[in-house]
Amino acid sequence: MAELGRAALVVTLGLCVYATVAGSYAAARRRRRLAGSARNALIAAFGSTVVAAGVLAAGFLRSDFSLTYVAQHSNRTLGRAYKLSAFWGGQEGSLLLWLLILTGYAALAVWLNRNRARDLVVWVAPVLAGIAVGFAFLLVAVASPFDVQAAPADGAGLNPSLQNPYMMAHPPFLYLGYVGLAVPFAFAMGALLSGRTDERWIVATRRWTLVAWTALGVGQLLGAHWAYVEVGWGGYYAWDPVENAALMPFLAATAFLHSVMIQEKRGMLKVWNVVLVALAFCLSIFGTFLTRSGVVNSIHSFSESNIGPWFLAFIFVAVAFATTLIVWRLPLLRSKTRLESLVSREAVFLYNNLLLVALCLTILWGVAWPILSEAVRGTTVVVGRPYYDFFLRIFGLPLLLLMGIGPMIAWRRASLRGLGRTFLWPFLISVAVGLVLLWRGAGSSVPGLIAYTFSAFVLAAIALEFIRGTRARKALASESWPGALFSLIGRNRRRYGGYIVHVAIVFLAIGIAGSAYDSVVEGKLAPGQSLRVAGYSVLYQRLVERDTPHAAEVRAQLLVSRDGKVLGPLEAGKNSFKIAGPDPQVSSEVGIRTNYLTGEDLFVIPEQINADGSVYFRIFVKPLVNLIWLAGFVFLFGSIIALWPDAREQRRLAVRYEEAGGTVRGT
Amino acid sequence: MARKRSPARLIIALSIAAVLAIFLLYTSIAGGGTPSVKPSQLGGQTGTVALVGRVVGAPTGDAHAGGLRFRLRDVQNPKGTTVPVVYTGTVPDLFATGRDIVVEGKLENGTFVATRDSMVTKCPSKYSATKPAGQ
Amino acid sequence: MSGALILGAALAVLCVVLVALPFLREPDPLSDELDELTPERRRRLALAEERDRALAALKELEADHRAGRVSDEDYRISIGPLRREAAEALRALDTVPDAAAVAETV
Repeated sequence: MAELGRAALVVTLGLCVYATVAGSYAAARRRRRLAGSARNALIAAFGSTVVAAGVLAAGFLRSDFSLTYVAQHSNRTLGRAYKLSAFWGGQEGSLLLWLLILTGYAALAVWLNRNRARDLVVWVAPVLAGIAVGFAFLLVAVASPFDVQAAPADGAGLNPSLQNPYMMAHPPFLYLGYVGLAVPFAFAMGALLSGRTDERWIVATRRWTLVAWTALGVGQLLGAHWAYVEVGWGGYYAWDPVENAALMPFLAATAFLHSVMIQEKRGMLKVWNVVLVALAFCLSIFGTFLTRSGVVNSIHSFSESNIGPWFLAFIFVAVAFATTLIVWRLPLLRSKTRLESLVSREAVFLYNNLLLVALCLTILWGVAWPILSEAVRGTTVVVGRPYYDFFLRIFGLPLLLLMGIGPMIAWRRASLRGLGRTFLWPFLISVAVGLVLLWRGAGSSVPGLIAYTFSAFVLAAIALEFIRGTRARKALASESWPGALFSLIGRNRRRYGGYIVHVAIVFLAIGIAGSAYDSVVEGKLAPGQSLRVAGYSVLYQRLVERDTPHAAEVRAQLLVSRDGKVLGPLEAGKNSFKIAGPDPQVSSEVGIRTNYLTGEDLFVIPEQINADGSVYFRIFVKPLVNLIWLAGFVFLFGSIIALWPDAREQRRLAVRYEEAGGTVRGT
Repeated sequence: MARKRSPARLIIALSIAAVLAIFLLYTSIAGGGTPSVKPSQLGGQTGTVALVGRVVGAPTGDAHAGGLRFRLRDVQNPKGTTVPVVYTGTVPDLFATGRDIVVEGKLENGTFVATRDSMVTKCPSKYSATKPAGQ
Repeated sequence: MSGALILGAALAVLCVVLVALPFLREPDPLSDELDELTPERRRRLALAEERDRALAALKELEADHRAGRVSDEDYRISIGPLRREAAEALRALDTVPDAAAVAETV
């Protein structure tokens, strides 16, 4: 079976090379049938990649340890779902997942657009195929998942801390995001290659970008939640290079999502949009490279990793390719529209972009500096949390405020007096909230207080937008309030879906700001003793031991009370996993008690379990942290609304492109 | 009427300048990061560094009571010098003899005194997240 | 093992067929040329986009005004230029010859 997998990958490589070369020739020489052939090759490449992926998946499900990769990441006792998710548990498998999603997206993109914008799409196919060539080559020649060996009795198994539903879903979502950014990138490059200066490429990829961006966001939240409950140090984001690897393209893509709206409304920023989408895509390749090659831990592990140098070359080629195209077409892309006023929605979007890109680049610097400093000066540095926290606040807080200002400002030119009136209520509400919070002690953290105040402003502004819009709709169509709201959203899905996404981001900000008000207490407890923190009392009752097929579990049983009233039991302890290997894997299992009303978590970490039955605990009370997870759902909901197909808009766009001439669907 | 000269260019230039200024100001005050050293390089270092090494010998003591004591050597040099470390705070689950770890701290009188909760273990497998101690 | 080989060969054959399909379907076509966006059609497209933008801006101003985001005074100031822009865009589009008349089928 391994040969079938290997052969399928070779077929994919061959098809993608053909699609790149023949597709480029067909686009340059305008050969219709050859272009169709290249398109078919890309679609066929998806098929053969599915075959390869199927072989690997089957290998996992059947515990075929003659496949080295399967033996490295799975074992017989692993649950079926985790056996399948072990597919992307290592380097080769995750490269295959990348290729699978890429060819899938590529096939879908060229198939859906087979009769539209032919002169543009004819270039999209070879660009997507070229990216696929990179990954297929790695899989065939450098890091094959189908290496075989004499099958051992059992495999190495999946790291127990990865056996968690959130960790199972995290890589696929992340990859759907990373890879998804390749499609708008390919369309942008296609537009440059075909010399088109209109916004056809943006119209074609609007939903693609939104889907990729949403997947990237959800994927990161899944990862953060895993870190919170499984790794269990009391936090959810450590500014680890691997985490930053996903955040950077997300920030660039967020900037892109906003700036394309400016191009749509005013025809400006054409060059900036192309630069941004290229940046987002290159960052996603860089992110994959960071996560996969271990380059950041040390430059030594870079040279040990076999794919490191190849990825670096890949990034270099992508950057060079994009830069050359942009510089070549620069004269064409200049628009004559100018920014009319510093106080307008365009200007706000511009500030938003600048802040997002600034944050993205400072994170990039934080990630790259250790590598550069070692390569150039021979000494490594470690860039820690304070650096990232500082810049997150400096750039993030103004961004938060802008989310409230943007929706209320008109395009082109807004009068300051008009703004004053529109801002009045949100401003008053936010000041009131700020004062109340100050009175309640939120002044202990200035950035936290600012974040909360700004959040109140944004939420009030968005609520007002909904109210104003609904009221206007009601007056127009004399519907009921719910009906008017429903049709308001229905007629403006992108706008109000976007507002809901903004609400999600505000929830995220409030949840994150809550960590500035964490309470923590630690101490050694013997059975019968308790610790008090932020009004809670945690009583350590006894230690119990449980034996399961996978691990020996030790749990400290606790009783949580508040103000004398017992709230309930809680368990926290450690697992010793029974895995073949020189040292036993031990993991901490934290105890979390969530107060769903206030969003607060009582977070108990059993740091050390001593032989005499005493346990050293560290206990956090984390206010508002559950807003972060709630934000995930609101985020998804808002995105789906924004994505929802709008028949009216489709018609309008179809008319525009038909009218430009040619066949009904030729443009 | 549209203005002849767009303020956009000015804003962008000013913003970039502002960002650079903030950045340079921050890094000159707070530093560009903590230098990362190996036990063999520790000798002359004053000031806080991040010590990267492999745990040798059996650790003694209690990180939550008096301090955990162990020795670190260069990861790449089995015969190299070892440095005694005293550590207080959260100990990651993966900490064990033979594991590669990073601790921040200062060298004081021949012993590396670690900053509380600063230990991070490097994971043995290539694709598992490291477990940071209390962040 | 040879099962895998047969499947692999079948896959390769299928892919070759798919790739050759456009040539197999039309061994001798009238025209093998790909639709091209002539400069005329590009211009028409640019004008159509400008028209859509102007009309959308008008609609948005009306909606903003109704919802209270734009004051009466601001509305009065902005509506004139926007209406002129929209009228100009419509006029410009009309002066370009209707390329549908020279439509090509592909």
